Amino acid sequence: MKKRIPMTIKTTGKEYWRSLDQLAETPQYREFLHREFPEGASEMGNEWSRRSFLTLMGASIALAGLAGCRRPVEKIVPYVERPEEVIPGEPLTFATNMPFGTAAYGLLSRSNDGRPTKLEGNPEHPSTLGGANVFIQAAILGLYDPDRSQQPMQKGVKSDWDAFVDFYRSQLHQRYLDNKGEGLAVLSESFASPTMARLKAAFEKNFPRARWATYEPISEENSYDGIEIATGRDYQPVYHFDKAKTILALDSDFLGREGNTVANARGFASTRKVESKKDGMSRLYVAESSYTITGGMADHRYRLKSGDVGPFAIAVAKELQKQGVRIDGYGDVTVDGSHFDSTWIRVVAEDLRAAGANAIVIAGHGQPAWVHALVYAINHALNASGTTVEYHEMRDVSRPRRAQVKDLVAAMNAGSVETLLIIGGDPVYNAPVDLSFGSALGKVKNTIHLSAYNDDTSRQCTWHLPRTHFLESWGDVRSFDGTLGVVQPLIEPLFASRSDIEFLSLINSGTLSAGYDAVRETWQSVLGGGGFENAWRVVLHDGLLKDSASKPSKPNPRSGEIARAIRPVKASEGLEVTFKSSNTFDGRFANNGWLQELPDAMTKLAWDNAALISQSTAKKFGVNNEDMVRLDLGGRSLETVVWISPGHADDSVTLLLGYGREKLGRVADGVGFNTYALRTFDAPYIVPGGNMQRTGGTYELATTQDHGSMEGRPIVRETTLAEYQSSDTPHFYPDKPHHPPLVPLWDEHSYDEGYQWGMVIDLNSCIGCNACTVACQSENNIPIVGKEQVRHGREMHWIRLDRYYASEPGNPAGMDEPETVFQPMACQHCENAPCESVCPVAATVHDKEGLNVMVYNRCIGTRYCSNNCPYKVRRFNFFNYTKDYPEIYKMTQNPDVTVRSRGVMEKCTYCIQRISHAKIGAKAQGRTVADGEIQTACQQACPAKAITFGNINDPESAVAKAKKINRDYRVLEEYNIKPRTSYLARLRNPHPELAAPVERAEKTEHSTH
Amino acid sequence: MVDEPLITGNQTFHSITDTVSKIAERKTTVTWLALIGMALSLVLVLLGSIGYLVWEGIGVWGLNIPVAWGWAIVNFVFWVGIGHAGTLISAILHLFRQQWRTSINRFAEAMTLFAVICALIFPGIHVGRIWVAYWLFPVPNQMQMWPQFRSPLLWDVFAVSVYFTVSLMFWYVGLIPDLATLRDRAKTKVRKIVLGIASLGWRGGNRQWINYERAYLVLAGLSTPLVLSVHSVVSTDFAVSMVPGWHTTIFPPYFVAGAIFSGFAMVMTLGIIVRKIFKLEHIITLNHLEKMNKIMLLTGMMVGYAYSCEFFIAWYSGNTYEAFTFVNRAFGPYAWAYWIMVSCNVLVPQIFWFKKIRRNVAVMFVATIFINIGMWFERFVIVMSLARDFLPSSWDYYSPTIWDVATFVGSFGLFFTLFLLFIRFFPIIAMAEVKGVLPQADPHHGGKH
Repeated sequence: MKKRIPMTIKTTGKEYWRSLDQLAETPQYREFLHREFPEGASEMGNEWSRRSFLTLMGASIALAGLAGCRRPVEKIVPYVERPEEVIPGEPLTFATNMPFGTAAYGLLSRSNDGRPTKLEGNPEHPSTLGGANVFIQAAILGLYDPDRSQQPMQKGVKSDWDAFVDFYRSQLHQRYLDNKGEGLAVLSESFASPTMARLKAAFEKNFPRARWATYEPISEENSYDGIEIATGRDYQPVYHFDKAKTILALDSDFLGREGNTVANARGFASTRKVESKKDGMSRLYVAESSYTITGGMADHRYRLKSGDVGPFAIAVAKELQKQGVRIDGYGDVTVDGSHFDSTWIRVVAEDLRAAGANAIVIAGHGQPAWVHALVYAINHALNASGTTVEYHEMRDVSRPRRAQVKDLVAAMNAGSVETLLIIGGDPVYNAPVDLSFGSALGKVKNTIHLSAYNDDTSRQCTWHLPRTHFLESWGDVRSFDGTLGVVQPLIEPLFASRSDIEFLSLINSGTLSAGYDAVRETWQSVLGGGGFENAWRVVLHDGLLKDSASKPSKPNPRSGEIARAIRPVKASEGLEVTFKSSNTFDGRFANNGWLQELPDAMTKLAWDNAALISQSTAKKFGVNNEDMVRLDLGGRSLETVVWISPGHADDSVTLLLGYGREKLGRVADGVGFNTYALRTFDAPYIVPGGNMQRTGGTYELATTQDHGSMEGRPIVRETTLAEYQSSDTPHFYPDKPHHPPLVPLWDEHSYDEGYQWGMVIDLNSCIGCNACTVACQSENNIPIVGKEQVRHGREMHWIRLDRYYASEPGNPAGMDEPETVFQPMACQHCENAPCESVCPVAATVHDKEGLNVMVYNRCIGTRYCSNNCPYKVRRFNFFNYTKDYPEIYKMTQNPDVTVRSRGVMEKCTYCIQRISHAKIGAKAQGRTVADGEIQTACQQACPAKAITFGNINDPESAVAKAKKINRDYRVLEEYNIKPRTSYLARLRNPHPELAAPVERAEKTEHSTH
Repeated sequence: MVDEPLITGNQTFHSITDTVSKIAERKTTVTWLALIGMALSLVLVLLGSIGYLVWEGIGVWGLNIPVAWGWAIVNFVFWVGIGHAGTLISAILHLFRQQWRTSINRFAEAMTLFAVICALIFPGIHVGRIWVAYWLFPVPNQMQMWPQFRSPLLWDVFAVSVYFTVSLMFWYVGLIPDLATLRDRAKTKVRKIVLGIASLGWRGGNRQWINYERAYLVLAGLSTPLVLSVHSVVSTDFAVSMVPGWHTTIFPPYFVAGAIFSGFAMVMTLGIIVRKIFKLEHIITLNHLEKMNKIMLLTGMMVGYAYSCEFFIAWYSGNTYEAFTFVNRAFGPYAWAYWIMVSCNVLVPQIFWFKKIRRNVAVMFVATIFINIGMWFERFVIVMSLARDFLPSSWDYYSPTIWDVATFVGSFGLFFTLFLLFIRFFPIIAMAEVKGVLPQADPHHGGKH
């Protein structure tokens, strides 16, 4: 380990390379390549490996030279004349789009001196409306991932694009043009892109005999299949939750992981903004197996196995039919629904019928196609179709079809595929395990994989080609409702990578061409010939083409087809296994440290994917948290770890997909368990007939919240809508604390001049999606600390989502049927801040605008402030978490926020850098900061718009008005610490006939007073 | 009524001088070398753990959020507490004319100093950025920044440093006549010079004695409030905060009582050993030990009273957070520590109701060890109130790492090193004072005849 980068820089570039190559052969260098964050970040405490990492940091600097194309040298010219609008140090904002499966998110990207540093939703774009989700927020880190593939590889040896183009042109292109693509096949991810669709059409024209398969491990495929059964065509369902009065979610996590969660959350939350007792509220019924955040928002949650959701839907349809709603295609399916709660089903049906066109029934993407077909018929029968649910024509979309992969694998095994082009994805890792994609791949002569990582598939292919990130390449998209937009790059490709468009163009034409030209060519026809440049610039500026959403249509359900599709199902028996999307989505974000460290919204587990089961199931199988179990399913088995998730359906196991990577990157490797090992073609989401057995071993899991009960403390307050509406001074549960009058001992600072910043968080809107946490991490340069540190309770998130379970006191079954409340918790900026008075060096002080400011330079790290913080929102740099950042990772950092060193305390600042920026701008223009001009990162990202921030000294500001709503309360207000953040109490809207657990709890609690 | 003599065995002035001085004058023994070797190796452990801590960061300890203070603070309070006995014995008992104190005050004071030195390590190293820890002191600087005077940590800095300074002066002033005695007996040149300088030209003249006793009295007067203030101020580190289980007005007296309790226990532990090894049974008699046992019985009950009073107030206040904290102490995840504390600090001293046990050296030795352990756990239990405070979402469990343990064990190494040096080179009994309580020094028997 004595090897160091030679410092004699007199050698020529070539020799320098050679020495690097030599270094690259050392095991230490390979270690560097294979680990993501410096050892130190993920496994603090091993000083030897950290030091060795530092030695190797030299290599990474050299590597930057090797990568070569971080910035095209020939284009960098010192400004002689400053380009328009570029002010050094001032960020610029550009609109772009993030492709995501068959849809896309419209985004705005902040660019600091030429590098994108933060992504936000585009307020003009219907897919985000200014909000975001965790994947959007974390995408920026994916761009600067040092583990992304950096150059093409041929059979595991470094190569370059020229070599690949030569190979393709000389050996494949002409031959396939001549034989019309015989033996050529493409396996692609799904897309919704006019240019990709055009190129795909051209591909099919050039190579008519070629095969094209589209595969996604997790997608809305079942939903599309169901709609296809019901209507005979492909439609993209678009839900308008803002118009909904009654929602029935059948195993659907429409707020968390399924469909367009951002727009769904926005619409749903808009029906929950109760500002006075005149306002109404939607009612959400959820029937699901694993406890999702959608279930957490439910007014009534019905816990049942995913396999029982289909019969449950039939029972609801039956009941609706009985109540006079004619459902086409429902037919005479006989299902034993006797074990379902008949009152529940009757009440849901009544509510849905009453809501009529304002009802939504939505099925989860894990439910089989026939459930979706039935749901289509129900929505149609309720007249919801066309108002709350729209079915948009799919244009320019290549939607996933699992069957195509099966056919492709069969062809590969039969030897009829000679060349396979894989665009994105990692099928060796995530294709159905029974297809044995990996072994089929070995029977194909030429396998070419375009992929961001040198992943499992790439390593088995003859060619691996690096794929660009969407922030560094041109492209275009259609969003959920068909809205067109351009994917505008913010930076030149960091590595030698090419986009899907450039790759497919190359396949079609045999020459490498710029993606920019291909996209513009498509848009020539989209925008029409005249005035193209202007129209193009408008599209780039806006991030979308206005009024380009596709037309919704409302075809009648084909009753016969639906009836045929419905399988007469019996309630499933035995142990069921379900597969769900995780914080890594399907594994594509596995190397993203922000997402790995992000605690799961419900279980609060970070850095792992435990098998989730209910309390009763755990008892039945004699297992407990952190026990290792062997899951047997259809002749396959998997050893994994168990975590008890209160509220999970009994006899059901949830497995999260996307973990257990081995050679993907330094973050992903060795995290969690590869659950794809149990996932087969026939049963991708729900599999009955499993078995679980304790192995006797245990496995350590890292959770950010150990305790789920509020212990009867008035932390999250809630009441029912009925109670709220019926009284001028509504009663909240838990009861407001009784305390003596809060009399100060001295004259307090009045804080009544100038700006006085404050925040209101509406607990009735907050869906617990975690977007704020990642947004804050991105905006405020919050380090990733790794599993060991999270286990130690040292996670650094400035805003966390507290999740409390509520259940009927004294009910032993309470653990199985809890309600959930979420509470975003960050520094409350107390006016009488307990942290300030105990700091011996005045490192945390109050400013005159009411901010509790943290002076990093002055902090000596006594940690007394944290001890005295009743909300425990302060975070301490126990180690130098940022010391070993790879060079490229530093590009993610927000230049307006200090990167903290070891030994100092940090915490939420209300995004003081944004406040200062707005104040400076306003002062320059001789005005005051307008309301809404400053958005904190959490507020901006919140898809539900649950967070309001502004000047509470201005009675007209949104935040001041929100504080006047009579649901407003402050946590621990009885201590007279005067927090500036207040919360709006949560409301539930239970159906009067179904007992509301909150009310019951209230009564029980009161009897003890 | 005739008091039992404080010093037994028909001691004369000369025999006292001889017995005590010989301990400091004899040749270095192999046992002593072995002991100090062991102690010094523990000092190395201490230095090593501190070095690693400074190199890597506070994260090498088991701390987290919410438990941002752990063993370091526990150890600090533990050592400061031990450092209470010496000054109490020297100053307060002096003012109260408790003459029996003369046999034990010298090494009790030395122990105080060494304990405070050990204590001072911890607040120094427990900050996140040790290289700027000097900002805690009101040093004029280019930033024009003062410390924040409202913080109890700053009060701590002043309280403990003043206590240390005054204790050191007090101890040294008391040493002067004895050092002069040693000087007069010195045979080698080096000893003569060193002791000559150290004894500040003491000749034992009348005027010197008068000045000396005045100075001693003044210092005793100065030290007396400090004995009470130091641990009161240390207790404000907790009491001034709003953490349930910390925020309570009983803390200052409760901490002082606890400190005296633990200090006496440590004096006893060491005293019993020293007495045995150096055959000082005639000077530190069973009567002395019995008196100290009585004080421990008293302070132990005061501590026990404080424990129960805390529970009562937690219930009586009607504050749910306080009430929860105390129930949680007794039955929560740290219940084991709580019951160790109660057993050692409240139950064990009850044996001293019996005179037989009060005068049984072996039993009392074991009991003092238990009390030392119990008092460490008391501080641990208090600090661990952090683990479960207001919002259950942030609750967590703290467990120490090997580095926490190494630092604590190492601090004992430092303590014993200093103590071994002390018993090797200094008169461990205040000869002059002991002579003052011999019958020969008071031919008129204090006017009792």
